[in-house]
Amino acid sequence: MTIDTRSRMRLLAFAITVLVAGALSSAGAGDAAGAARMATAREGVRPRDVGEGALLWRTAGQDTLAPAPTLRTDVAITITGFIARVTVHQEFSNPSRDWAEGVYVFPLPETAAVDHLRLRVGERIIEGVVRERAAAKASYDAAKQQGKHASLVEQERPNVFTTSVANIPPGAPIVVEIEYQHTLAYDAGQFRLRFPMVVGPRFIPGTADPTPPDASGRGPSTDQVPDAARITPPVRDPARGAINPVSIRVLLAPGVPLSRLEAPYHAINTTRLGDGRYEIALADGTVPANRDFELMWEPAAAAAPTTALFTEATGGDVFAWLMVLPPNGPALDSARVAREVIFILDTSGSMHGASLEQAKAALALAVGRLTPEDRFNVIQFNSVTDAVFAEPRAATPGNQAVALRYVNALRASGGTVMLPALTRALDGQEYQGRLRQVIFLTDGGVGNEAELFAAIRERLGQSRLFTIGIGSAPNSHFMRQAARYGRGTFTYIGSTTEVGAKMEALFRKLEAPALTDLRVELPGVGEAEILPDPIPDLYLGEPVVVAWRAASLPAHVTLRGTLAGAEWQHVVPVQPEAGTGLAVHWARKKIAALLDQRQASPDAVRLAVIDVALKYHLVSPHTSLVAVDVTPARPDGADLRTHALETNLPEGWDYAAVFGLGQGATGAPLHVALGLIALVFGGVAYVLLRLELVRRAA
Amino acid sequence: MRRRPFVGALAALVLAAGAWQLGEAVWIYLKARLAQHLLQRAWAQTLGGEVDVKPWPWADTWPVARLRVPGHGVDLIVLAGVSGRTLAFGPGHAGESAAAGAAGTVILSGHRDTHFRFLERLRAGDEIVVERPHRPRARYRVREAVVVDARSARIRTDEERLVLLTCYPFAAMTPRGPLRYVVIAEPAFTSAGSP
Repeated sequence: MTIDTRSRMRLLAFAITVLVAGALSSAGAGDAAGAARMATAREGVRPRDVGEGALLWRTAGQDTLAPAPTLRTDVAITITGFIARVTVHQEFSNPSRDWAEGVYVFPLPETAAVDHLRLRVGERIIEGVVRERAAAKASYDAAKQQGKHASLVEQERPNVFTTSVANIPPGAPIVVEIEYQHTLAYDAGQFRLRFPMVVGPRFIPGTADPTPPDASGRGPSTDQVPDAARITPPVRDPARGAINPVSIRVLLAPGVPLSRLEAPYHAINTTRLGDGRYEIALADGTVPANRDFELMWEPAAAAAPTTALFTEATGGDVFAWLMVLPPNGPALDSARVAREVIFILDTSGSMHGASLEQAKAALALAVGRLTPEDRFNVIQFNSVTDAVFAEPRAATPGNQAVALRYVNALRASGGTVMLPALTRALDGQEYQGRLRQVIFLTDGGVGNEAELFAAIRERLGQSRLFTIGIGSAPNSHFMRQAARYGRGTFTYIGSTTEVGAKMEALFRKLEAPALTDLRVELPGVGEAEILPDPIPDLYLGEPVVVAWRAASLPAHVTLRGTLAGAEWQHVVPVQPEAGTGLAVHWARKKIAALLDQRQASPDAVRLAVIDVALKYHLVSPHTSLVAVDVTPARPDGADLRTHALETNLPEGWDYAAVFGLGQGATGAPLHVALGLIALVFGGVAYVLLRLELVRRAA
Repeated sequence: MRRRPFVGALAALVLAAGAWQLGEAVWIYLKARLAQHLLQRAWAQTLGGEVDVKPWPWADTWPVARLRVPGHGVDLIVLAGVSGRTLAFGPGHAGESAAAGAAGTVILSGHRDTHFRFLERLRAGDEIVVERPHRPRARYRVREAVVVDARSARIRTDEERLVLLTCYPFAAMTPRGPLRYVVIAEPAFTSAGSP
């Protein structure tokens, strides 16, 4: 090969590479260029800022786009018996040259009792105090104006919280530590701990409120969801990569030997410590905050707890927490009762992808288990509601096949207009001689929870509502509470591989009679405040869990109820163990019970909640934790920029299906550009080749 | 002389790749054109009283309206739904918005490089006509156009309006950008009772 030809070929290859790479990168930069260009007015049209809340919009028109603060989260969970104590360590870093305020919307378990906030600035630690919500906000705002470091934790929903951090210095981190505790779910012999990671985008029905929100949500608040702007953080396009890394460490002291310990949705490393405790960490170190973490453990059969009673005496009161698993659970071998089962399937855009596939698989199993004595129907809803049959039909093989074909053809798109489907299923009628069960499969991606709860309470009648949470980050507060008002149970299915086992467990519950009208008696104890009140119906494998506050301890506890029409009674001798955090646990239940009252006036409820929350140092819808530094840090004259921190889209969600009103472009221009470049270079190479041939021939 | 076949093969390969890319583009444009032709037939049947006429046997969509912009020579059949598959054949009507021509906000989406390329040329005051079966024509006038970030923007749907949506910027090379070009048109109250 002559040097001449070789270098020419290299040059050609190099030029093609550069041009193709250039074309690709300029195509990719189109978005950013477009963002910068959009400030330029076009003739005849008026570009206008309507993208309130988007990070780019706050800084559009400036030379540089100021990057928002970034966040990394470290979670430390200590589990002792039935109680988990969790420290969430949020480190806000500010990569820009301006002072920044970060606002992050994040989820916690719906039963979390948040009682501590610590703001770490350098070496110093500022402890947060609980104050009435407006007062806390005012003191935070004042500190923000004065240039002091400050942090505020507010509760938006039982499972949605907001952290605001003011005056993050350029290039330096600020650490916010939030501490909460919650009790663990114990069902069918298994303990479950969930740490939710992301507030999934929710469907916000209603008419938009024209007044600008004070928060930085994706959308305005509406008449049906007055705080929509506070629960809809900006969402990151998955194409730009996941953000908000989270590390999780769990120290588990189960107190009994275990037969199983696993995290169904994450890879973990487990170390067994000498004293019977376990240390669990994520195998990858950190994961993006885009799907809920769950830890499941099962005591060895002989060691499975059937009764546990913990007590704590503080401030002149005795707080107790009692868990009783009724012997053998409610009886299994009762005669089968004919049922009418109504399935409601959410086919809104947020269910697109893996979620809908899980739901379809679950539904297929459920329909297949019905017998011809049962009647059933399948209702699906997104923006509109539709059903396979006009009226419920007998579950004959023919009707089952029709329903399965109908389900298989369903696709997810549109909004989550849940109310018509719920009201259609819960018609409040009498059902003589039949168990009527409504099974609701959804990710609960709605913001108008209160309206839906009211509908369930009003129209339940003799029906029972069972919710099945689907997907990587369902709104479990909505589904747990809906099942409670619906006097049924909540089941969470996080991946398609679990559908079989979880549906089997649910069907055992559906087919066995429930233990109803449960009461707890504490003989010899004067006045005791027992929560929850009333105690929810108990299904197969579920324990009775109650907390109470009283002046003293009883000698024994009597449980009474009704099982399959007969009186049922169970006496538990009291052998208390000392526990911690029980007062906080009781107070959290008390706040939930206060908020649950239907008759009381909102003002009376608010005052009662503030009373309990201040006494027990808890965050609630009406109280917030605020921490303010003493000395100002931000120099006078330096600007403060507020950033709403982006959240990831829950794993498995389809961005276009949720946000899309369709993608507005094809790949055609890219194809044309690549095609033309290739043709030009191919042509040039061909001509060069011909020229050389001609030259050699000559 | 052995490297010459190699150089020749490379040139042929690059030429073939170019032809393939152009072919892909031509297929996209051709599909967009051809489908509208077939859709006109399905639209005629729809006007004839049939419901949800599928333009071709395996279609998962059907014509719901006809969109005309007399000032720009635009005449398009609008399809039900806004999935990628639908938008390849014509502008789509977002199912969650008001029915085409009905009271409320009607939202239509289209590709900025095929059917909705003309949005760039629309000016305030331009007339847009939406026809739908068995109802009087709805006439709109363009009020304004805005650029929004699809990740954060929301469209108010409580007013009677027509909203045309496409991707932005028009000249961007790659699809799937976050920005949207939104044309907002208001009902034009011309001579009363115009059919």
